[in-house]
Amino acid sequence: MSKLSAWWFAPAPAERLAAVRILIGAFGLAWVLIRIRESDAVARLPAQHFKPCGVVQILDTPLPPGVALAITIATCVLMAAFIVGFRFRLLAPFAALALLWTLTYRNSWGMIFHTENLLVMHVLALSVSPAADAWALDRRPAQASPIGYGWALKLLAAITAVTYVLAAIAKLRIAGMAWLDGEQLRNQIAVDNLRKALFGDLIAPLATQFLDHPSGFTVFSVMTIVLELSAPIVLVGPRPARLWCLAAWGFHVGVVLLMNIWFLYPLLGVAFVASLPAERPFDGLIRRWHRHRGT
Amino acid sequence: MNRAAAGVVSIALIVATASPVLRKPWQDGFPLSTYAMFAFARPTNQTLEYPLGITASGDRRYLAPWSIGSGEVLQALNVVSRAKSTRTLPALCTTIASRIASLDEYRDVVSIRFVTGTHDAVDFLVRDQLGKETELVRCEVVR
Repeated sequence: MSKLSAWWFAPAPAERLAAVRILIGAFGLAWVLIRIRESDAVARLPAQHFKPCGVVQILDTPLPPGVALAITIATCVLMAAFIVGFRFRLLAPFAALALLWTLTYRNSWGMIFHTENLLVMHVLALSVSPAADAWALDRRPAQASPIGYGWALKLLAAITAVTYVLAAIAKLRIAGMAWLDGEQLRNQIAVDNLRKALFGDLIAPLATQFLDHPSGFTVFSVMTIVLELSAPIVLVGPRPARLWCLAAWGFHVGVVLLMNIWFLYPLLGVAFVASLPAERPFDGLIRRWHRHRGT
Repeated sequence: MNRAAAGVVSIALIVATASPVLRKPWQDGFPLSTYAMFAFARPTNQTLEYPLGITASGDRRYLAPWSIGSGEVLQALNVVSRAKSTRTLPALCTTIASRIASLDEYRDVVSIRFVTGTHDAVDFLVRDQLGKETELVRCEVVR
């Protein structure tokens, strides 16, 4: 038990966790802002389309669109406070809950997407961690967190790993080993691109080429399951973590090329920053800033 | 926060994230998901309802999902199938027609046809083979 505790609470710099807070928070804010018109359009759909999920199940009927928009704007303000580390211990949990509500509400109109789940879980985890002990508007605490910062980074990485393992388990529970023969993956890709074509959207750039050569999908299927089941390797150490993150990023690039589905959170690398030395780019920028100011 | 509290928080969040494994894979949720979206077997032969823009010369145009009420294809698909099941396709047809009436992008579209189409996805995408389509509703684009 003490070994497990020592491993989980192994030290990490406060700046690394702060960098992760800034990057994940900035992604969350940008995501909500960029999609604000789309969210508003969906919130104006007739009430018959409203199928509440998650925390939104407390509602029987949709909110007036103006109220939904106001909550979205409040979420943006709270996320801005989250990024800059303003009154973090007080406001960060509210920011996380607001993001949870806003994105759950967006997913409560008959179609649950899977591009935002990990972001919400990461922000929830960060909101209860000492992620604003560095690089924050809040005054730096007189003493570093007595339990360090490494556990929060491990928690984020573990949450990421769990989501990928769940995806593999779902495939194996539903289809069993038959999922590995590639046919199901090929059919998924074909059907997804058919829908896009019929609804006037762009089909994926490599979809038609690969659909005509189905044998390749066996390799893709095996690689997908191996990648998803091996996700916990991110907890083993920095080098395996980096390798797995690179492989997962490549997997998501493949999803774009074959399905034109953009999981931006992992595609931009933000989903993986807790497993990487995220503070280094910020360190470089800060050093340059000090040089520039001659301090 | 002390180690015990951090440990409880860590275990709670990891267990919560993993908890969908106890549900049936198709019982999805947000943000706690089973991530089964690519796990189900899907036949390539698919029957879907969708709108088509028809030009004066009778050519067909596929309409962007936002014209149906969402920028997301899957959400738009859901809007259409819900409208069909609630027999409100004529109203949706009129809404789409009014949305695209003032847009340059669709200036050649004179009417909207809602169809049920059955296509083999691979034949459609790779060999440009259109399946069978049956008209459900038609409405004019009034400018």
